[in-house]
Amino acid sequence: MSKRAAKPSSGKRQRPDPGRSSRKAREAAAQQRHRRNRSLAIAAITGVVLVVAVMVAVALTRHPQASRSSGGVGPAGNLAEHVPVSVLDSVGAGRGITPPQALPSGTPTLEQNGKPEILYIGAEYCPYCAAERWPLVVALSRFGSFSTLRETESAAAEVYPRTQTFTFHGATYTSNALAFVAVETNTNQPAATGGYTALDQPTSAQQSLLLRYDRAPYTTQTGAIPFLMISNRYLSIGASYDPAILQGMTRNQIARALSDNTSVIARGIDGAANTLTAAICQVTGEKPASVCSDPTITKIVPALPKP
Amino acid sequence: MTPRWVMRWTFLLALAASAVSAYLTIAHFTTPNLLACSASGTINCARVTTSAQSRFVGIPVAVLGLTWSIAMVGLCSPVAWKARATWIQPTRLTLVCIGMLFVLWLVYAELFIIRAICLWCSVVHVLTFALFVLVVPSGWAGEGEHLKGR
Repeated sequence: MSKRAAKPSSGKRQRPDPGRSSRKAREAAAQQRHRRNRSLAIAAITGVVLVVAVMVAVALTRHPQASRSSGGVGPAGNLAEHVPVSVLDSVGAGRGITPPQALPSGTPTLEQNGKPEILYIGAEYCPYCAAERWPLVVALSRFGSFSTLRETESAAAEVYPRTQTFTFHGATYTSNALAFVAVETNTNQPAATGGYTALDQPTSAQQSLLLRYDRAPYTTQTGAIPFLMISNRYLSIGASYDPAILQGMTRNQIARALSDNTSVIARGIDGAANTLTAAICQVTGEKPASVCSDPTITKIVPALPKP
Repeated sequence: MTPRWVMRWTFLLALAASAVSAYLTIAHFTTPNLLACSASGTINCARVTTSAQSRFVGIPVAVLGLTWSIAMVGLCSPVAWKARATWIQPTRLTLVCIGMLFVLWLVYAELFIIRAICLWCSVVHVLTFALFVLVVPSGWAGEGEHLKGR
């Protein structure tokens, strides 16, 4: 209130203006509301910034741990999971690829939690399994992701010794489109009693599938591995390409070659991965469309064996 | 009244988000190779746009992003800012908050599930955050009182 306003004029007593005081109260309340709302807005923005900062910090600090061979996905695994789609497209069906066989139409459904199941049964000592894991990782990475994928090699005493690869033992895979179940029955370490030390034990249902399908007419060698069932539609026994192309190469050399469409390795592994991708698309109901409607994949589908 | 620069910038940001989202949507329905982006290593657009997380309840995230940004263009147009309709401000505020929460989920998915970053998606994320920064104060403070005089 100004001095002039406080001064009585013309001898009349000045009465308080009820309209003015209520307006002041309203203004004060509005200001308080604005202050509170502004604080809320600042808190919301700060919250978003903090959440992003924490996520980035955690991701950056987790990175070195993920690169260790004891867990996570190492650099080779990272490259195998991230083969450029442009390279996969230019390789197409590849060269010298054995496509999976079609299973008879009455084959029981293989699924987990309503998702089609891809069942792999192999062993760490096995060089054909070592070879087959590469295209499997490339193909499955288009449908989901591995969060744990350790590195290993096939046994030194086997054909194609020390073939560099990954192991699915302890691997974690997530996908909205499919379920991946892997069984590595043995390590690559010789056992005192002969053979190799035991690792994962197939379930009775998996053993039944082996007994039923891991024999003639599906394979000339009963009990051969790797054994790969793509739900109840396709079956692949053995390596889809020649494991000899991996001989003498380090894991990182193989992984880097996957992104070079002129390399023999890309034509073998990426070609096999595309064929597996086309087969997997047939059991996921062509999902995700971004993968299954890829012209390269749709071109391979008609070439897949029919039941 | 909300300052003109806020009206202008939110409109421009929403338009830019729509343009990038349209680009991502076209790439989603054609080929990820369309994206001018690295396709190997940590920066890998194709890896992200073809991942399982590229869909949300069966709907491509690119389509959701395009729908959201087109709605934001309408709600952040100068006409909408000046309109007296009482539903516009809360709708704009709700939508920008939903967009921001979705961006946080996508950033999490890129960093921890897909382990790859899509540059074009990140552009949309940054635009969404910028919209959030401009819309939230004006939405909560009502009539943009706090922005007066800028």
